[in-house]
Amino acid sequence: MNDASRLPGTTDRSVVTFTFGGEPIRALAGDSLAMALWAAGRTELRASSRDGAPRGVLCNMGICYECLVVVDGVQQRGCMVAVRDGLCVERGGKP
Amino acid sequence: MVETADLLVVGGGIIGSAVTLHCAQLLPKSTRIVLLDRGPIAGATSGSCMGHLMVTPDDAQEHAFTTASLKLWRELQEQEGGFDYNPTGALYLADDPADVELFGVLQRQFTDRGDTADLLDARQLRELEPGLAHDLPGALFYPGDGVVLPMLACGAMLRLARRHNQNVQVRPFTEVTGMLRDGDVLRGVRTANGDLYAPQVVNACGVWSPELAAMAGLPALPVHPRAGNLAITGHHATPIRTQLLEVSYIRFAHGAAKVDPTRTDDPGGHAVNMQPQTNGGCLIGSTRQFRGMDRTLDKALLHRSLERAQRYAPGLASAPIVRTWVGLRPYSIDKHPLIGPWPALRGMWLATGHEGLGISLAPITGRLLAQQLAGLPTTIDATPYLPARFLR
Amino acid sequence: MNDPNVLTADVGVVGAGPGGMAAARALAAAGLSVVVLDEGPGAGGQIFRQLPPGATGARLAEPPSHHHGHALLGAFAASSLQYVRAAVVWDARPGRLWFEHDGRSKLLRCQRIVLAPGAYDRCVPFPGWTLPGVVTAGALQVMVRGFGIVPGKRALVVGSGPLLLPTVTALLSAGVQVVAACEASSRWRALRALPGVFGNGARLREAWWYARQLLRAGVRLRFGWTIVGCEGSGRVQRATIAKVDGTGRPRPGTSQTFEVDVVGAGFGLVPSIELGLVLGCRTRFLAERGGHVLAVDDRQRTSVAGVFAAGEVAGIGGAEVAIAEGELAAAAVLHELRGVAVPAQLVGKAQRERKAADAMLRAFAPLPGLHALATPETIVCRCEDVTLQGARDAAALHGGSLRAIKVGCRAGMGPCQARICGPSLQALACAAPGRAMDLPVAQVPVKVVRSETIRSAPMD
Repeated sequence: MNDASRLPGTTDRSVVTFTFGGEPIRALAGDSLAMALWAAGRTELRASSRDGAPRGVLCNMGICYECLVVVDGVQQRGCMVAVRDGLCVERGGKP
Repeated sequence: MVETADLLVVGGGIIGSAVTLHCAQLLPKSTRIVLLDRGPIAGATSGSCMGHLMVTPDDAQEHAFTTASLKLWRELQEQEGGFDYNPTGALYLADDPADVELFGVLQRQFTDRGDTADLLDARQLRELEPGLAHDLPGALFYPGDGVVLPMLACGAMLRLARRHNQNVQVRPFTEVTGMLRDGDVLRGVRTANGDLYAPQVVNACGVWSPELAAMAGLPALPVHPRAGNLAITGHHATPIRTQLLEVSYIRFAHGAAKVDPTRTDDPGGHAVNMQPQTNGGCLIGSTRQFRGMDRTLDKALLHRSLERAQRYAPGLASAPIVRTWVGLRPYSIDKHPLIGPWPALRGMWLATGHEGLGISLAPITGRLLAQQLAGLPTTIDATPYLPARFLR
Repeated sequence: MNDPNVLTADVGVVGAGPGGMAAARALAAAGLSVVVLDEGPGAGGQIFRQLPPGATGARLAEPPSHHHGHALLGAFAASSLQYVRAAVVWDARPGRLWFEHDGRSKLLRCQRIVLAPGAYDRCVPFPGWTLPGVVTAGALQVMVRGFGIVPGKRALVVGSGPLLLPTVTALLSAGVQVVAACEASSRWRALRALPGVFGNGARLREAWWYARQLLRAGVRLRFGWTIVGCEGSGRVQRATIAKVDGTGRPRPGTSQTFEVDVVGAGFGLVPSIELGLVLGCRTRFLAERGGHVLAVDDRQRTSVAGVFAAGEVAGIGGAEVAIAEGELAAAAVLHELRGVAVPAQLVGKAQRERKAADAMLRAFAPLPGLHALATPETIVCRCEDVTLQGARDAAALHGGSLRAIKVGCRAGMGPCQARICGPSLQALACAAPGRAMDLPVAQVPVKVVRSETIRSAPMD
């Protein structure tokens, strides 16, 4: 992986591909969805519940519920879900 | 410290807020109205309940009562808004084949009252609510019901009240510690911050109405706490856009069965009532249990509540639950609220005992009480609700 | 009746950070059966976050204290204890822990509970803080140390307290340019932390390590500065800092703006007391230890029989405090279950570590003026999109308490269960002088779980 977004020495892991809003995202085994998306330059993950404003990772440890993305039709914390091949992920929050 | 006012309303929940609003609208603008609560406004039952705007068809009097109140809710939405008002209608559902015939019974009750409800077959139901289980035998849809957020509604009512009458004061965290009684005349209340004199005092304390009434020397008010477990999902997780009610709900909530509200061994019961929220969440109820003032969760009842909700909306199984809690409904022994004067004590008024119809009936309660205070004719016949009926 | 969803053990430990690992390892070594429940993907908690398996080729600069973390992780992995990762504990009573794991609703029955759930970032709202790319100091640590991800090209770090240092060094070790690192406390106030540092050889070595990292990178810690706003289109692109007065309030006319692509804000930590509250544990209010903490005696016992607490949940204090208190809690449990006397040196060690941490943290107790960073339009409840003005209006009408604000505008009623907005709502509610901080209400589920988890929870 040529990635400037990855620290050297951390990429000796298998590649995992999932889609976000239909677009393919290349990730590494062990990534969380939120971190794989951040590394791919996608910091906007959901629309806020009333105003529909762009939101993304805040705490990165499962506390804040800002990083919600839709996996299998259910809103889940992107920072707590491990990447898996073939996952279809959508923006979370206000539809 | 000694203060005087013209009208005191004790209890800052939905009933107290509605009484304050309608008094502000119907009484002269110079009327000094003070609303007191020992905690936050909307901090007790009105901050722990469902927001059902319900028209009840099973009793002609109550049908007229709830219909009149829901009209006032619509007016409040037009004048003020800001309380997540959602005219969802209500879907009466059943999954027990024995209950299906109740759809027809219910529909006839509505038509007998000059109202309409539509029978939906299984296909029509699936079109209306694709998130419901596919094996349901249809439903009855009543378009007149709705959903509000009661805690925000209290704020909306009080803001509107203050616009009508600048002499309305709202005092949270002001506990009434005694009633100032002079023979058979009520003079005012004692609070932690001093005495407040007023010729009229309204007791809108819900499950605490008997406690306040006892301070004034009234006999035990026949209002008892009836607990309800609730759960709410996270945002954007609601499987429904309409409000759901099990058709057995009416029988369960207002049933004719004799109940002893002071029993300590009530296993409680449940009938589905689910409400979509503006943020995409879903509020899940509705249980009923007599257990005094105990607000600890009954786990078995909660599990049953979620099980039944999941039966109707299977997608709910994977919905995140953010919070569970218990609220206390003020249950009146004869199933009718108390709205009006307490004849044995001049100046003492009651507005309480609404059980599960508190939100629905708040505006009409406020209006009836304000009309009685002002000596005006009442919107509907208030006789069944006069507290005097308990004086015998 | 062998229900696969019901586990039994002598001790249930909540949390696999330094406190939980230390307690569990000691208990297992003494022959007790131990189950450790942790929400994360691996042991170490936040401070000792490890890279995913296979990513261990990285050379991340680590302060001296981390060798203790590695030793503990090794001992933890080699121990006979049962470690359940990705377990969300949502309800408890003495001897019972309900958790969601692997899509199922499970129950742990145990004789004793040790709570070491750690803490989470204290959030201070400021204009633009909801923009993607603005994260907590803890989030940056997880990003770099937990996933080996480079957060961006140009970072601004702001906040208050010792955690600023590991945040900056994590960024530096990831090759990120730190445009500014701002400590809100004045230099003089921060100097009060020195006795706690100097009084302890390990802390001194730690401080010197951080100082060298910053010197080498040419990053100067600015004292008496903080963030006053962020801007950007769809994500953070610019951040503005300003000098602050002794209370943390910004001084007009001192702002500087930087082009950035990531902002890390770390204004201290809040102990995760929620599970303790559901268990009925008494709390104390200690501003310099993070606010409401679980009250413990000198054997790490809470006010509830059979429930012990160690580390951040008993007061923010860092890894060494957590490890010492975890070991002490284990010894106290062992005493109750096996009659083994609690070694005096464990009691002494826990007290010394706590004292040193207190001495250091006293210099960084939350600055009240930081609550003036938010403007009326700033979102204070991110879950429900409630602004500061909305919260103020709710307080004005419904009353000046956390509950009043909640019912007045719904702030605090979202899925974060008021963890993110709680501190700033508290500050608003308790603006009346002399009013004590409201205690958060104990509610179930303690962490959000699925409806089916609650519905199918094993009874007792």
